[in-house]
Amino acid sequence: MKKFFLMIAATMLVGVAAAQNAKIPENITIKTLDGKTVETSVIKNDGKPIILSFWATWCKPCNRELNTIKEVYEEWQEETGVKLVAISIDDSKSAARVKPHVDGNEWEYEVYLDQNQDFKRAMNVVNVPHTFIINGEGEIVWQHTSFVEGGEEELIELVRKVANGEEI
Amino acid sequence: MRKKIIIAASVILFSFSAKAQGILGGHVTGNVQLDGQISSRDSVIGSTDVPQKLLSNARADILYTNGDFSAGLRYEGYLGPMLGFNSQYAGQGIANYFVSYKTQTLAITAGHFYEQFGNGMTLRAYEDRYLGIDNAIRGINVMYRPVRGVTLKGLIGQQRYYWETRGLVRGVDAELSVNDIVNALAEAKTRITIGGSFVSKYEDDETILSDIDGYKLNLPLNVGCGSVRMDISHGGFGLQTEYARKGQDPSIMNNYIYKNGEALWVSASYSQKGMSANIQAKRVDNMGFKSVRSESGEMLYINYTPAITKQHTYAFLSMYPYATQSTGEIGLQGDFMYKFKKETFLGGKYGTDLHINASLIKGLDTTRIGGIGTDGYTSTFFGTGDTYYGDMSLEIAKKLSGKVKLTATYGYVVFNPVVEGHEGDIHHNHVVIGDMTWKINKKNVLRVEAEWMGSDSKYDPAVDDKRCGDWIMGLVEYNFTSAWFISLSDQYPYKDGVGNYYNISVGYTKGASRMQIGYGKQREGIICIGGVCRNVPASNGLTFSLTTSF
Amino acid sequence: MKKIFNSIFIIALTALSLGACDKIEEGNYIVFSGASGEWFDGEGVADHSQRALIEKYTGVRCVNCPDADVAINAALSQYGDKLLAVAIHDSCLAFTRPIGDSPDMRTPDGDTWSKYFGIFNGSYPAALVSRTTTGNAWDIFTPTSGINSRVDNVIGQQAKVAVEASAIHQTDAISITVNLEFMQTVSDDLTVTLFIMEDGIVATQRLHDGTDDENYVHNHVLRDVITDVWGADIDCTGNSGEKRYAVFSYKNFSQNWNLDNCHIVAFISNKSTREIINVAECEIK
Repeated sequence: MKKFFLMIAATMLVGVAAAQNAKIPENITIKTLDGKTVETSVIKNDGKPIILSFWATWCKPCNRELNTIKEVYEEWQEETGVKLVAISIDDSKSAARVKPHVDGNEWEYEVYLDQNQDFKRAMNVVNVPHTFIINGEGEIVWQHTSFVEGGEEELIELVRKVANGEEI
Repeated sequence: MRKKIIIAASVILFSFSAKAQGILGGHVTGNVQLDGQISSRDSVIGSTDVPQKLLSNARADILYTNGDFSAGLRYEGYLGPMLGFNSQYAGQGIANYFVSYKTQTLAITAGHFYEQFGNGMTLRAYEDRYLGIDNAIRGINVMYRPVRGVTLKGLIGQQRYYWETRGLVRGVDAELSVNDIVNALAEAKTRITIGGSFVSKYEDDETILSDIDGYKLNLPLNVGCGSVRMDISHGGFGLQTEYARKGQDPSIMNNYIYKNGEALWVSASYSQKGMSANIQAKRVDNMGFKSVRSESGEMLYINYTPAITKQHTYAFLSMYPYATQSTGEIGLQGDFMYKFKKETFLGGKYGTDLHINASLIKGLDTTRIGGIGTDGYTSTFFGTGDTYYGDMSLEIAKKLSGKVKLTATYGYVVFNPVVEGHEGDIHHNHVVIGDMTWKINKKNVLRVEAEWMGSDSKYDPAVDDKRCGDWIMGLVEYNFTSAWFISLSDQYPYKDGVGNYYNISVGYTKGASRMQIGYGKQREGIICIGGVCRNVPASNGLTFSLTTSF
Repeated sequence: MKKIFNSIFIIALTALSLGACDKIEEGNYIVFSGASGEWFDGEGVADHSQRALIEKYTGVRCVNCPDADVAINAALSQYGDKLLAVAIHDSCLAFTRPIGDSPDMRTPDGDTWSKYFGIFNGSYPAALVSRTTTGNAWDIFTPTSGINSRVDNVIGQQAKVAVEASAIHQTDAISITVNLEFMQTVSDDLTVTLFIMEDGIVATQRLHDGTDDENYVHNHVLRDVITDVWGADIDCTGNSGEKRYAVFSYKNFSQNWNLDNCHIVAFISNKSTREIINVAECEIK
């Protein structure tokens, strides 16, 4: 029991020690939907914010999130210049389904495959969906795990602030 | 002693890097997860009292990155491993550490790493914290790109086995992007990637007696496994294939036979906006590949043969999960998605999504030669044996108004218990699911799910398969903003079954932190993630989980 | 610099790929795990019968010898599995030489036994039942009659040691397992002797009328003694109830033999008196 509380204390301590804006790593290998190997440095949006969303074909809330945003994505892009980059963590069991899944759902997002989950680990993603907002400098300014309908409105509020250069 | 030094060194490294981040310009990130469980006896569902009262799994990943350099370590603590986790995990310490240098053309990692060659048929070192599987390799991993379009990988190391490392694994992989190499094809619409890999394991000799008195197996100490693969895409068309072969590898998984292993996987897909189709076929024959031949559990797998069955997410559709039978299977699956456009007859005001899937997995057509210490059996390439698993599902998702979305699903699942290692009749199940999400207003969302499953299986205490019978399930989930949720659910086998599995859980999410507490009964069963499955015993009581990333 | 690195990397990868996979040829999947004839505690013997072995010394030019075959065959069918027989063609005498190019069934081990027991000094056919003595001499007799009384003497006793054998043919070896169970305490040193014999050998045999039968079928012909000709020592205490087993590996069999027609015989004998205590036979699987 004592050890258990120590663990909680350590959890909090670690949380305090690392309050800072990390950048997204640039040197991690991911794949495009047509099988091309690229580095995470391709995730760029000309100084405008990026929504980076980790998802999987088999994850219901992920699909709800990406389908919900799809409805308003065009408006968001026009308003804030934001780009959504969707990172599929599907392993080889389902990776071949990613492109059909994306097309079938009519998603206009930039989608990459992270089959070996190197990017997922580097971003400390534990569960999907896990969504990041990246500012124009490539810094992670906000992150959130899980999705509930309505969460997209919270997300765009934050993106607006980031697009305007406000602190969040 | 060694462990203590590592811990001390890592604490120093961590505190130094955390404080000195401004000077060094690096970043420290990480994540922490803590799960706990209190379970007590319930003779109906088969849960038992836990002697420790409280079971907990904890882990913390700390990652330091500075430009091309990164280093990380992971604390894991299983102070009473949670139900379903192997008792050999009990203990705590630094389970994983690495340093890595990565540029566009060269990457070197020393320490623990995860890697996958192709689709993983020859090598896949990965972890799944929820399954308690960690096949990390501890050693050296090098990636090198001599020219544009060519990626070479090489690795050598030992695999993680709970708190130890075992075996010796060596592997190489090459991948060529034809469009990047051949200038004339640089802008071609057809993109071709080809690759090949070879993995070899070494294990010391040991005495494994044959069933002939006085004779032992003449074991191959080095076992090789190689594959070739190709990935072609042309606009909406895609074709991916990989073929792997494995040398003689007598192991406990194949009952120590000397037959070569073989696997073929083909996936063809076509997609355009609003429509997609995907067909996959697979044949696996004696492809279980572990770094220790006598290991029968879920650890020490070197390779991974992807299951092609669809990963269902609704409770009753996924009640009988299917994992690849690496000893042998042949299967086919198809997936079809279509979006009826808005303002059409079937599409209505908001459009309608249709999703159909079907799969059938069978055993191989084999002829027995002998047992341990023989070639085991022969198999025909296209022949099939017993049906292992089959499913089909039809899902229609439709938005009724701006606030209400409805999903209706019908599924049919055929499951042969032999794939879980016991005899019995094949189960045939019909599943009907309704799922409604009602966005009451900006801050309140209600989700209601109802499921029914009709089965020809009946609960038999002698077999004790608690999935048998006809079931109903109801679930109500209420979300207040994206921060709070509460959910109530009950799964009840109203006919020919046993138990009553109710659950209540409350969760709170803020940013990348999430806390969840649940109380209820959990059916014993198999949980599967990515086609890899693990047995989880029944539990009855409280569970809680805390995760955070930073 | 980059070229050097490229070459090193590619050489390293190639080196790793080659020779990192062992191929075991079919037929070598299993290997003998211990020393041949090493004794271990066993699980005992199911059948505790006392059996007898009749060793018949014979020759293809010996016109009276087929008479012994008739008598021995009659005894074999009468006693069933309680009696085993072996035909020994020794080369001590001229009339055991093969006729024409007919198969040679003589063995050096047969010579050793023939000389030791003094068989070759007497007339053929000659036989011993379980190497018993009468008075101070070996009970050698002409096996056209008098078989039953000798066999009854042997099998009328309770078995001191029960014995069982099994044999499996691998590509390059026959693996023979001998199981023993001591029914009584035996204080003498014991040996086990294994031999291989073949049925259905067609070889020319001279008959009473002086004619040669080219189609004469010779059964239970001694082919080779697998152990030392006087047997292998049995490592045991000899206490009543003791159960021991050993596995013997045998590779020196000839391609000319039809192993489907061969049997393995295992007999336990008193190391000093040579007397056979019990015997068992098995097929080769």
